[in-house]
Amino acid sequence: MNEATTVLSTYPINLALIIAGAFIQAAMVAEEKEKNTLRGLLLSPASTLEILIGKSALSGLMTILVIIGSIIFSGYAVPSLLLFSLSILLGLVFYLATGTILGLLSRTVMETSIIGMPVLVIFGMSSMFKPMVENATLINIIELLPNEQLNQIWFGLSDGKGAADILMNLFILFLWVAVSFLLTIVIYKNRRFD
Amino acid sequence: MENVIEVRDLEKSFQNQLALKKVSFQVKKGETIGFLGPSGSGKTTTIKILTAQLHATAGEVKVFGEPIAKLKDPTYMKRIGILTDNSGLYERLSIYDNLALYCDLYEVEKKRIAEVLATVNLIEESQKIVQKLSKGMKQRVTLARAMLHQPELLFLDEPTSALDPVNTMHIHQGLKKLNQEGTTIFLTTHDMQEAETICDRVAFLHNGEVSLMDTPENIKTQQSTSSISLLLRDNRKVVVQKDEAGAKEIYNYMKVGEIVSIHSDEPTLGDVFVKLTGRKLL
Ligand SMILES: Nc1ncnc2c1ncn2[C@@H]1O[C@H](COP(=O)(O)OP(=O)(O)OP(=O)(O)O)[C@@H](O)[C@H]1O
Ligand SMILES: [Mg+2]
Repeated sequence: MNEATTVLSTYPINLALIIAGAFIQAAMVAEEKEKNTLRGLLLSPASTLEILIGKSALSGLMTILVIIGSIIFSGYAVPSLLLFSLSILLGLVFYLATGTILGLLSRTVMETSIIGMPVLVIFGMSSMFKPMVENATLINIIELLPNEQLNQIWFGLSDGKGAADILMNLFILFLWVAVSFLLTIVIYKNRRFD
Repeated sequence: MENVIEVRDLEKSFQNQLALKKVSFQVKKGETIGFLGPSGSGKTTTIKILTAQLHATAGEVKVFGEPIAKLKDPTYMKRIGILTDNSGLYERLSIYDNLALYCDLYEVEKKRIAEVLATVNLIEESQKIVQKLSKGMKQRVTLARAMLHQPELLFLDEPTSALDPVNTMHIHQGLKKLNQEGTTIFLTTHDMQEAETICDRVAFLHNGEVSLMDTPENIKTQQSTSSISLLLRDNRKVVVQKDEAGAKEIYNYMKVGEIVSIHSDEPTLGDVFVKLTGRKLL
């Protein structure tokens, strides 16, 4: 399979991650802020992790359903189920965390779509812009982004590469997950203070 | 008795504005404390600092004998209950479901829901969607939520401000019961009647300081004008002092059967507050 068709068939998956994973999550978290219900969660004895997982369950599930749907519709042949699922899982955590951060930084649901714009452009559209970019440094940076890492993993798997070949991509993706996750926790805990 | 709250020289400034200047007070275990003060005097600010929602600028704040920094620990959050108007209900859920969610957060059995709903007089409405409730009903649900886990220490920021007298009475009875069961209560209010009815001690917050803290009775007697009003037969009103001369005067009027009524001029808490601060409680 050549790269162009893979981009087309995997693009819906990236889009699902960003729209369902990040933006729905952002709206749901921002609604808790807008309606002042977040305060009660922050002041409860439930741990940050419990709250964040509980709060992400619904949008996480929806994202997975949309991804399964788009795989079926696009006829994308899932290369290696185990490694593919692992990449989806890492991607999902990253985008849910990003969405949670967006929601925590917005005051209202409306605001999420405004401050979410750069996120959409960077993590959602950069793969599409990449062929048009000439500056080598910028291309290198784009290729480090999580959506590009996901693409590279999926191309690799489609080309019959194994776990060893995509290890570096998984590692970079994991770094994105770790950073976004820690950032989410720090911002969440800070919301308690006016 | 052991102090549940100890605040010493608490200071809080927002940007350049000083909200709390030098607030010091103690709350003993089992007390119900009323924090009184005009709008903008820093009552909510004090509660937010005590519940780790704001950092103090200076001073010492201890709850359960530990500095407030330790309160962030989940086990401490379980020991306190909080009612403030910045903590909302889930509008699309029923009263019951709102409380059920908090049962999960606080690891409380669901059967407790019926008890708190009885306290706030909302048993019948438990399946109603919060969005459709009146302001006073919502306030009662929030209060029920704050007492769900029978906290050792309950912070209430104007718990009855949107309630009618009947429901206020219900809440007062509920709070008294909770207090008898061991909960220390720290509440703010504008309502002097409320302070007198349920508070063991009240504190007057004024100009960023606690200007007075005592039992309502003591405050009234200490600040009383020590005068007595007499209503005489010819509809005349005479005010005499509570001293020997005054007693003699009263005796003289009584001898000739002139007196219709005798009334001791006890000030209300509100009178004392106005006298002390030159400001009315709003
Ligand atoms: N987050 C904030 N930023 C800036 N100033 C604040 C903030 N919160 C409170 N203040 C100021 O601190 C002062 C005390 O406010 P606070 O809300 O504690 O008063 P209050 O006694 O609760 O009044 P009320 O009876 O109206 O509720 C006010 O002058 C207010 O403007
Ligand atoms: Mg207030």
